[in-house]
Formats: sequence, C-alpha cells, structure tokens
Amino acid sequence: MSDPTRRQVLWGFGALGAAALAGCSSASATPITQGEVQLNFWAHDPGYDATFAASAVDPAIQQGSRWTYELEMTAANAGDLVSRAITQAVARRRGPDLIGVVVDQFPRMMKSRIAQNMLVPLDDLIQPFGDQLLKQGSYTSDGSVYGLESDNSISVLYYRQDVFQENDIPETVGSWEELAEAGTRLAATTGQAIGMVSTGDPGAVFNSFLQFLLQRGGSVFGADGSLTLDSDESREVLAFMRKGVQDGFLMPLADPYGGAVAAALKNSELVATVMPNWYRAYGLEANVPDQEGLWKIRTIPPFQAGGHIASTLGGTGFAVASDTARSDAAVELLRRTYLTPEGQFLRYQKGGYLPTLAPLYQEPQFLEITDPFLGGQRIFEVYGEAALDMPAFDQHVGMQVMTTTLGGPVLDAVMGRSTPDQAIAAAVAAYRNQVRQ
Amino acid sequence: MSTVSAQPSWWRRNEVRLAPYLFIGPFYVLYALFMIIPIGAGVYLSFTDWAGLGAPQWIGLENYRYLLQDNSFWTSLGNTVFYMSFTMLVVLPASLLLASALNARGLKLRDTFRIIFFVPVVISPIVVALVFGLIFDGQFGLMNALLQAVFGFGGIEWTTDPLWARVVVVVLVLWRWTGYLTIFFLAGLQNVPRELYEAAALDGAGAVRSFLSVTLPALRPVTAFIGVTVLVSTAQIFEEPFLLTQGGPGESTLSIAMFIYRAAFQRQELGYAAAAGVLMFAAVFTIGRIALRLFQVGRNA
Repeated sequence: MSDPTRRQVLWGFGALGAAALAGCSSASATPITQGEVQLNFWAHDPGYDATFAASAVDPAIQQGSRWTYELEMTAANAGDLVSRAITQAVARRRGPDLIGVVVDQFPRMMKSRIAQNMLVPLDDLIQPFGDQLLKQGSYTSDGSVYGLESDNSISVLYYRQDVFQENDIPETVGSWEELAEAGTRLAATTGQAIGMVSTGDPGAVFNSFLQFLLQRGGSVFGADGSLTLDSDESREVLAFMRKGVQDGFLMPLADPYGGAVAAALKNSELVATVMPNWYRAYGLEANVPDQEGLWKIRTIPPFQAGGHIASTLGGTGFAVASDTARSDAAVELLRRTYLTPEGQFLRYQKGGYLPTLAPLYQEPQFLEITDPFLGGQRIFEVYGEAALDMPAFDQHVGMQVMTTTLGGPVLDAVMGRSTPDQAIAAAVAAYRNQVRQ
Repeated sequence: MSTVSAQPSWWRRNEVRLAPYLFIGPFYVLYALFMIIPIGAGVYLSFTDWAGLGAPQWIGLENYRYLLQDNSFWTSLGNTVFYMSFTMLVVLPASLLLASALNARGLKLRDTFRIIFFVPVVISPIVVALVFGLIFDGQFGLMNALLQAVFGFGGIEWTTDPLWARVVVVVLVLWRWTGYLTIFFLAGLQNVPRELYEAAALDGAGAVRSFLSVTLPALRPVTAFIGVTVLVSTAQIFEEPFLLTQGGPGESTLSIAMFIYRAAFQRQELGYAAAAGVLMFAAVFTIGRIALRLFQVGRNA
C-alpha cells in the first residue's frame, strides 16, 4: 500500500465533513391520522401557550377529535420565531407545527412565496365563516389565508373618568376635533394630555401613525397591493398629530410601554389614550395598578372628515407548518381553538384575546363580562360596537420596508421639522428607492 | 535457523508523516466549516436573489448595483464612518489620558478606579440601553431634568432629533469602551521604565513634554494594536445604535452592520444582505490592512 499524499489526507478530512453535514437531513413521515400526536408549538406570548394547552385537554372543545395532543412549547421573540422557522425548514429539520406569527413579521413570509412553501393554506377552513371571521387580510398572501388571528386588537379610547369629570370634558364627545379642543384647554390649564404619539424607534413611530390613519379611513397599502399612502387622509392625520404635539393634547413619548409612559401615567400627566384592547393589561394595569377603577373605555371619537369609531394595532396569527406528519392534527387543533365559540371564549379567559368571530360580540357570555380595572364596565358593549366598524388592515410584502422608511418622515412632521406633504413625499421616495421601483 | 521479521503495519510506516496532520487537522476542519464555507456561501449568495427559502436565483452583480443606488446604504456608511472617527479621535485619546492618570505615582484607590472603569463593558448591553433610554428620554429623562435644574434649559430631543441621537450613541460608545481600552493602555504604561521619566525630568521636561517624548513613543506598539482593533470593531458597530435607537430617528443612527441585519432578518433579503456583508468584509479587511501597515503593528521599531 503506497503512502498517502498530503492532498489525499486533506481530501479525507473534507469527506468526513461532508458526511457529517449529510447526517443533518431528516426523513419525511406518513401523516398521523389519529391517536396521540406531539406538536411543536412556537409563540412569543405565554398567553397563547396557556390557551392552546388548555384547549388541548378541554373535553368540550376536543369532543369527537381523532387526536389527543401533547404540546412542546417554545418561546422566543417575534422576529426570531420566524427566522428560526425558516432556517429549520431550509435545513430540513423539524420546526414548529403551530407557530404564532406577529402581524408585523408576516410580510417576511410573503417574500418569495415563503408562506406558500411553508404553511398550510387555511381557505377551506375559514370559508364557511365568510365575513363573520374578522381580520383575515393581515395574514393573506396572494389571495390565500395562512394564519388565523388570535385577537381582534380593537383600538378604543382609554380615559380617566375622574379627570374628565373634574375638567368638564364630556365623555360622550362627538368627534376628535371636539376632544382635541377640550384636550388643548386641559393641557393649558393642568398640563395633562389626552393622547400620545410615539417618537422612539421607527417601528413605534409607524404604529402610532398607522393607528390614527386606519381610524381616519386611510391605509398604507390597498387590498390590491397598491401603495395608498399618498392620500389626503395621511396628510390630515399627520397635521392632526403635529397640532396635538404643538397644542399639548398629544404627548410625545418614546414608546407606549417603556419607562417614560409609566412616569406619565403615574404622574397623571397622561389621562387618556387610543390603544388596542391588550393595552389595558400591558400598558395600564402593569404600570398603574393603583389607578384601578379610574379608567374607562369608549369607542374612538370619529374625525369630522370621516373614518371609523375604532382602529386596530398589532395581533398574532397562528399558522400550521405544511407537509409534515402532524399538519392535519395541528390544523384541527387550530380550528377547534380559534374557530369555535368555546375556543374563542377560552381564548378570552386565558389571555384576554377578543373574539374574531363577529357574532360572538352579541353573545351573553361575552356581553356579561365586566372589567374591575375599568370600574366594572361591561366592556363588550364598547368592543361590540367597535367591532362593527373596524377598519381593514391589508398586508403587503413591502410593509417592513415601509415601516422603516415612513418612521423618519412621520417623526419629522410630528416634531414640526417638515410639513405633512414633505413627509409623505419623502417616505414614498425612500420606499421606492429601497424596494427598487 | 533464520527469523523472518514481520512487515510493519501501514499505520506504523506512516505514523510520523501523518501525526502533524492529525494534530492540526481538527482546527482546519472547523476553520473550513465555520469560516471558509460560510464566507464562500456568503459571496455566492451576494450574486443571488434569495429570501431564505427555496433555490437562490442567480442575478449576477444586480445586488451590488442596487447597493450603490441605495440611499439607505450610503446613510449607514456615513454613520459608520462617523462612529469610527469618533472612536479614533475621542475614545482612544480619552483612554490614554485616563490610563496616564491612573498610572500616576501615589494614586490611592487605583484598583477601585480600574474596576469602576471596567464595569461598563461587562454590564449587559440590554441593561445599558434601558438605563440610557431613561437618562436621555426627551420628556421624562434625567439629563433634561438635570440641565433644567442647573442651567435652566432642558428641552433637548435627545433621541428624536437626528443630530442629538448620534450624539447619544457616541456618548454610549464613549462610556462603554473608554474604561476597557484604559486597561490595555495601563498595562502598556506599566512596562515603560521609570528611568526614562527620571531622565526626562533631569533634562527639565515637564509633565506634558514627558508625555509627548516618553509616554507616547514607548506606547506606540500598544497604541497601534488598540487602534487597529478599535477601528475594525467600530466598523462593525451594532449593539449601541440597535438597542438605543433602532437606527432612528429615520436612519440617522443606522450603521452598516444594522443595515445588513435589517436586510437579512427584517426584510428577508438575504442575497442583498450578503452583498452588503461582502462589501463590509472587503472594507474592514482593507482598513485593517492599511491600519496595520500605517501603525506598523507587529514590526520592530
């Protein structure tokens, strides 16, 4: 046997490496049609873990199911969940069977048909519900729905009833303009604000603008995918936000959850704000538990020029990984948890997530719910009215780009460094430059 | 009676020749797996349009062409050059001066000072960003309250004004890295012979003259090493602007590393991110080589 050359030795190491890499692939399996099934469940919020864990063992929800479920929970931040799911798919390793995709992460899955390649289309599942199932547009790509929304995320006006009464601000004020007028007087006399605008990172600034824009009846992208940002509604909203900061009725804060907003709430400098239903727990109760009973909610006063009495912000859609042995079982768990009245009631109990089936807002089991933090208010009387007039939020593959390109110009307009016209023009130009149109 | 000696085994015959390869082999396997292959894959991806799933589509030099037309890329490049200039012109000299002060004879609590200066680098960047966010909040921040109390003004929009946001980021860089670099300079200073200072004093040199004529020349190798290291690491700055401002307001604090991260993990444009990564690699490599030559790192004086 001849001595090996240096080249042969190095090739040997290369072959070893290749063999090690080849061992990383996984084999496909036949679908599990019944019996026990273990599902990988990935989400960013423990409320979802609690909801699905309870649903999986709830006899009323799982009655007649062909499967019994064991859930393996994985928690991570919203962006990492999507990144990790994609890399697992690329490596042909087992990833999530059920994944909670936060609404601002879904556009990443619209790129290059990632959603179509990775996720189960849910059109057949939701077809019987028609328009009764709310918020379908947020997880739609190329006409197919790939995620079921967990929470209707209805934005309402939170307000301190005691401060409104002390300062003669009518709780039933009819329009934003009237409320702004009262807010300006309040700011001048007591220094208190009746709303906030985010001035922090581009994402927070974008969300702050988007919430007002949707309420006003505007949008960033249309349902057909066209760019609709350059509109009168956008300019009016920017002018309104600028006026609010200038006159003091809107308080500029870095973000709606951090230390600054906690200080503003504790000092009673921020006495009202438009935010979604989940803000009660994450924003108000978390920062000012001692103000229990002082806060109330109502629908948002509409703009005189038109729009809605509600808005929306945030959300998490649950999707099912396609082409696995567990896909059918995961779809069925999702259906029973998210598309049945029992499941949606359980979802509300476990995480405070509002129903996405419109008729449920009129059901006694929801209507009778009262909220101690909101002074025992029957909150579904407000949410029910708001749900009927929710603006649509349509996703677009360029939404992530728009979030960063719009953040700077909006902030410039809000802080008075540019006009609304200039801000919209700058945002559209930057967007087109970055998406190469 | 004759004896037939057994033929030595293949391993016995080759063991001396192969042993060195076996010892260095693991390093090169790992180096190839985790350096050469990823770099090669990155260069390949930079010529493709790839969102992370499916087959990358070959598009030649399109990504590089788009990069040169992308205002965002140039903005991030400008910001990164600003950060690099700041570290070289402010952080580095500040560290040297601090080290000189700590090296002074008769200084009490020297070790305590060292620990204090070293602490910022071991604190979690998340905590640092949270604390800095509270200090520099425009509405309720400590800094504005302090300015208001002492000077009677305090309405500075620290993180919402493009210029001030850059200032806050570099203040964080200064706070975080000056103490760390001071430790290196201090180690260098302790190797400068005392006799040199005594000779300089006999020649009538004051503190400044001693610093210029003794300290600086003696520290040249250390300064060169630190300079190159800092230059290369600042070219890849990510944590400070990402945690403090997310690149905002607008893109006024966006760095090249953040630009790449944003393209890859927020926009799912992995081919484009790879192209920016290749350019950054080439730029950092070139800057590093030029700096090495300029500062004569590793060469005898």
